[in-house]
Amino acid sequence: MYIYIDGKKISANDGETILAVANRNNIYIPTLCHHEALDDVGACRVCMVEITHKDWGGWTNLVTACLYPVEEGLVISTSSDAVRRSRGTTLDLLMARCPTSDVIRWMAEENGEISVRYEQVDDGSKCIMCSLCVRACEKMGCNAIGTVGRGHDKKIAPPFFENPENCIGCGACAAICPTGHIEMKDTRTTREIWEKKFDFVACEVCGEPVMTEEYRDYAIANRDLPADYYTTCSACKKKKLASHFDKVGS
Amino acid sequence: MGIANLKKLEARRSALHKAHENVKTQVRVCSGTGCAALGAFEVYDALVEESKKAGLPVQVELAPCGKDKDPIFVSLTGCQGFCQIGPLVHILPEDILYTGVKVSSVKDIVGKTLADGQVIDKLLYKNPEDKKRLKGRADIPFYKGQELVALEGCGSVAADSLDSYIASGGFSSLAKALKMDPDQVIAEVEKSGLRGRGGGGFPTGRKWRSCVNATGDERFVICNGDEGDPGAFMDCCIMEGDPYRVIEGMIICAHAVGSSTGFIYVRHEYPRAVERLSLAVKTCEENGLLGTKILGSDLNFDISVARGGGAFVCGESTALMRSIEGSVGEPRAKYVRSVQRGFRDKPTVLNNVETFACVPSIINEGSDWFASRGTEKSSGTKAFCLVGKVVNTGLIEVPMGTKLRDVVFGIGGGIIDGRPFKAVQTGGPSGGCLGENYLDLPVDFDALAEAGSMMGSGGMIVMDDRTCMVDVAKYFLNFLMEESCGKCVPCREGVYQLHALLDKLSRGEGEPQDLEKIQRLGKEIQVSSLCGLGKSAPNPVLSTLKNFREEYEAHVNDKRCPAGVCRDITTFTIDPDKCTGCLVCKKACPPDAISGEKKQVHVIDQDKCTQCGACRLVCKFDAVVTS
Amino acid sequence: MQKTYVVIPRNCTGCRTCELACSMIKGTEGVFARSRINIYKVGEERYMQMTCLQCVEAACVKVCPTQALVRNELTGAIEVDEDRCVGCGLCEPACPFGHMHFDLDEGVPVKCDLCGGDPTCVKFCPHRALELK
Repeated sequence: MYIYIDGKKISANDGETILAVANRNNIYIPTLCHHEALDDVGACRVCMVEITHKDWGGWTNLVTACLYPVEEGLVISTSSDAVRRSRGTTLDLLMARCPTSDVIRWMAEENGEISVRYEQVDDGSKCIMCSLCVRACEKMGCNAIGTVGRGHDKKIAPPFFENPENCIGCGACAAICPTGHIEMKDTRTTREIWEKKFDFVACEVCGEPVMTEEYRDYAIANRDLPADYYTTCSACKKKKLASHFDKVGS
Repeated sequence: MGIANLKKLEARRSALHKAHENVKTQVRVCSGTGCAALGAFEVYDALVEESKKAGLPVQVELAPCGKDKDPIFVSLTGCQGFCQIGPLVHILPEDILYTGVKVSSVKDIVGKTLADGQVIDKLLYKNPEDKKRLKGRADIPFYKGQELVALEGCGSVAADSLDSYIASGGFSSLAKALKMDPDQVIAEVEKSGLRGRGGGGFPTGRKWRSCVNATGDERFVICNGDEGDPGAFMDCCIMEGDPYRVIEGMIICAHAVGSSTGFIYVRHEYPRAVERLSLAVKTCEENGLLGTKILGSDLNFDISVARGGGAFVCGESTALMRSIEGSVGEPRAKYVRSVQRGFRDKPTVLNNVETFACVPSIINEGSDWFASRGTEKSSGTKAFCLVGKVVNTGLIEVPMGTKLRDVVFGIGGGIIDGRPFKAVQTGGPSGGCLGENYLDLPVDFDALAEAGSMMGSGGMIVMDDRTCMVDVAKYFLNFLMEESCGKCVPCREGVYQLHALLDKLSRGEGEPQDLEKIQRLGKEIQVSSLCGLGKSAPNPVLSTLKNFREEYEAHVNDKRCPAGVCRDITTFTIDPDKCTGCLVCKKACPPDAISGEKKQVHVIDQDKCTQCGACRLVCKFDAVVTS
Repeated sequence: MQKTYVVIPRNCTGCRTCELACSMIKGTEGVFARSRINIYKVGEERYMQMTCLQCVEAACVKVCPTQALVRNELTGAIEVDEDRCVGCGLCEPACPFGHMHFDLDEGVPVKCDLCGGDPTCVKFCPHRALELK
């Protein structure tokens, strides 16, 4: 089928979302809560686009590109006035919530000048509730964190705000967080995240950290690889292999 | 004593009818929430006991082969509507409605009315207009102009008795539907013009039809009983008062769309509804009305009662389905409708309690009968909860298209203390406020939407001149702010900011550009939010801003609350010309800010006054004025 | 036909030009990146160039929960699809040869992708110790 994005005729497949088609064709639509490997939820409302169709009699609608399935002849605008207004309001609201977040400020500046300033809710948090961390944790099969409560006080947290039993300290939540809200503190021997402390498996050769002990146990149990893969750090593995190659070669 | 097939159902019904014909007097004790809170259960127990003591042939169950002659049938029914003056005891066939019945009045009722046929005057309803006592429902203005369809059995059948339901014609509609083709059933519902009573107003027949047309190996039927609007209790009353009707509606739907699994989602704050529905489901299962081969047909259908945790957002269909699945109750985008991919990603029909309660009547009486009520595009009747500053509060059902004036001033009996009418809020927290100029608006889906409000589930809150519209909007936004699921940004952050702006106005710190800001933010929340709740969340503020703009402007420009509600910008003073020195306000004042002797003009000490408004509320002479 | 990346240790003098070239080509805006190739001294005047072996049955591909490590059928290299990576970092300890590095700051893995079929290190090796045949 064919759809039209910003005036360009583009071929699309049944079942694809607008965002997928746009990404494939290098048409930029900003996103905050979208991730290629995770299910879309449509929470951030930043990927809003305006759609219409020649059969709709001039009627237009604002939809999230990450969720809306394409249909034949759909006409999409990624930066109409309505889109910019909606996106602008969303970003203004996020700026008020997370004034210290650079990502949000950049995005807001890119969308156009910041027009409305709202009362700042500066609790020092950069969390925009995109739930990427929760979905990443779910993908890992751990479900150690989730959303807690509702409304404006909603938080991402482990069950009962207690040190999460299921957390293996992989750090995916911190890595995927678009605003850098989730803190992970590493020392040479320990990692701390969600107020849970982990001991690193020390490299049996040099003592450098390899991974958390819980993560190793998780890997052994869930991935089909020999347990001794996880005992040595990368540098030592490489060194060992280098001298092995040397021996074989000579 | 199962009801394995249609024949057995009819046999059972005719036996019950015979038993019913024998009943000389029926005493219906209302056990709706309001009456129950005022002691209806105690009244019921006392009635039964007292009648037995008096040697009357009292029956609490409708037994097909009762041995008593001329028995008195005492039953606990669902809500009889007039909650304000409960507990209600309705005596038939004489149509005597006793109001405000206490355990202490039971002896009289038994001794005089039941034994002797006398009417006890002081227990009758007193018409506030002419202070006349009115005997029964037929005379009371509150009941005039009402037409009960969904509430038909609510207040008449014994709430937890399958027999009582069957005797009143229950399951005859299912029997009729089972003889029809599923397609015919859907066509009948389509023709009736029934639209979803949960608020959206989507044509029910079309919903069922698209579910049938959707591809999937399994279909689900879900009944939405998660009624969360403040001031709304229609669904609660139906579930408590006539649970079998809801179940019958669901079975008919299951037959029409080809489903074998159903759920009733009830909020846990409705313990009696949960209890009665669970009992009703169990009784139906035991009697073969649920399970396999229902009434001897090929239909297999099971219903589970799922309890909600009380999140307002779980009344949104997709969030509700997530909640039943066991996930966090958050809505999803409905670009793909839930009739195609709903519960467990299978085609799902989700209807409101009231919608299902309408279905049996439509099948029984025919689509034309239903369509002849109401307006062309909104057929049938609609239940409303009439609450607020109105004389008669309670549960009502009127044909669609009834004018707001007839509801508020006819059934509702006007405003308390004869104060001026200011607005009526329809559609629950995310509905809108309609002022005096909308009083002649016919209440139907489209007219309300056009006026900037909505039908919603059917809450109707009446406000008088002492209601501040900024305060009202703030109240609803506060509710929505706390009940937003927090998933999408515009609703979570936007409603919070709207509330903050209104709070600023009510503190007298509003700036001229704030109104523009409120308007703009409200509009953006409407277009940008993910689900229907978010999209309608700014309605209370947008509709009051549109209809009562001058009140907003007074808050911003003059730093004044015309209704005298917003504490920070209101001063209470006593008008010396009107004050009679009755001491009432002095006694009512919590911080003891009022001084004055008997028959002397009272004075409010402004340093002590907390602007709570208690004095104004109690003053019978309108002597307390605000500025 | 697909070409093969070949290391010839006996030609390597340990000059580390390859590491420098890799750092520069993979860096952005003048900031050097971590080199995907490393030179190890394995004896007197003997050096070994170590870089990803692009294993046929790669452990990193096997452990990735989101299929973010994908083989490029044209070059034969296993490439990181950063859009699909959730940053769990399991690929690093999973590699038995130590060729996978997880960049904690960026939250993505770093590995040799053969520069899309035209490895920069090969071009810059002055001693023909790295070749594409």
